[in-house]
Amino acid sequence: MKYSYIKPRKKTPFTPDVQLIVTFFSITIIMLLSTYAFLLFKDYSFVQNRRELISSRLDLEKSIEKMDDKIAYIKRQKALAEKIFTQNMVLKDSIENLFDLVPERITLSRAELLKNGLILYGITPSKDVYNFMLQAPLRSIFQKTYTSFYSQKNGWLRFVSTNYINEDEGEELDSED
Amino acid sequence: MKINISRHQIYILLLSVSLFLFVLVFAFGLLIPEGKEYRLKRIELKKAQKEYDQYQMFHDETFEKLKKLQGENRNVITAFQRVFSPERFEKQHKSHFSSLSISKIQRSKDEAGFAVYEVNTTSHISSPANFYDFLDAVNKGDWIIGINFPIKFLRDAEMIKSSFTMKVYANNKDKNVTASRSSAK
Repeated sequence: MKYSYIKPRKKTPFTPDVQLIVTFFSITIIMLLSTYAFLLFKDYSFVQNRRELISSRLDLEKSIEKMDDKIAYIKRQKALAEKIFTQNMVLKDSIENLFDLVPERITLSRAELLKNGLILYGITPSKDVYNFMLQAPLRSIFQKTYTSFYSQKNGWLRFVSTNYINEDEGEELDSED
Repeated sequence: MKINISRHQIYILLLSVSLFLFVLVFAFGLLIPEGKEYRLKRIELKKAQKEYDQYQMFHDETFEKLKKLQGENRNVITAFQRVFSPERFEKQHKSHFSSLSISKIQRSKDEAGFAVYEVNTTSHISSPANFYDFLDAVNKGDWIIGINFPIKFLRDAEMIKSSFTMKVYANNKDKNVTASRSSAK
């Protein structure tokens, strides 16, 4: 039995007002959640990138340290090589000067170059020739000079000249080097 | 005056308020702190990036410096690395001597962190000029060699017999001790 001629309308809790509110808040919440997710992802990515950068920086630090060691070692090698080359050149000049020092009238039979001195063995026609032509220049170089003469049958003299520079001055020169 | 609010409207109001509260709590409780964290981490990353760039620049500069130094001192570096060979030494320098004899090399006390080997040398030269040439040639040779005192020159007929000690400098890792005695005339 019908009590009304119209059809009953369906009753639902999702009225247009509720739908509007739910849609509005859904969009808002989705936007908030996606922003939050984006921030979380970026945070994670920043942390990862920073960790990688720090790791790479530590590698660079080690590499720089190794290169610095190599540079220091090469500099030491260079300094030592230059020192030795200079010493060789100084030695060459010393020997050159020594042989230039000996006058033609005096003949050397033996020469010993020591770190702090010079020993010469040779023959001289006379003491005067030796004193004027060899001993004078030797005295200007060395602080201690001792000479022994031995006469030969032909009238010439054999001599042994021992010359030393002061140890202190030698050390000073070494330290300057 | 009577306010007539239907039950449905009350439900809608409650839903709206609860959703609004949720949005507020979410925004202030999570989103804003996370945003602050994001800003801090971005600043830290930029700082780390800046530090890394500085290190990278310094690394490149040091690398350039090392390469330049290696290029300029290639001969010295190779000379320190090369193991002393008496045979090769004689081959290189015998033109300066009428005869050249090199004793067995012996390890000496290290100098400035480098290995030092001593070699006694006996030779005959026709004039002192040969010895000067030898000293020049030693400086351009394959090894770092220092001529050491005492140096003895002895007249031997028309020749000069010379004897001296050479110090061969090398990196500390080499094995010069195994080199054998050699003599060439």
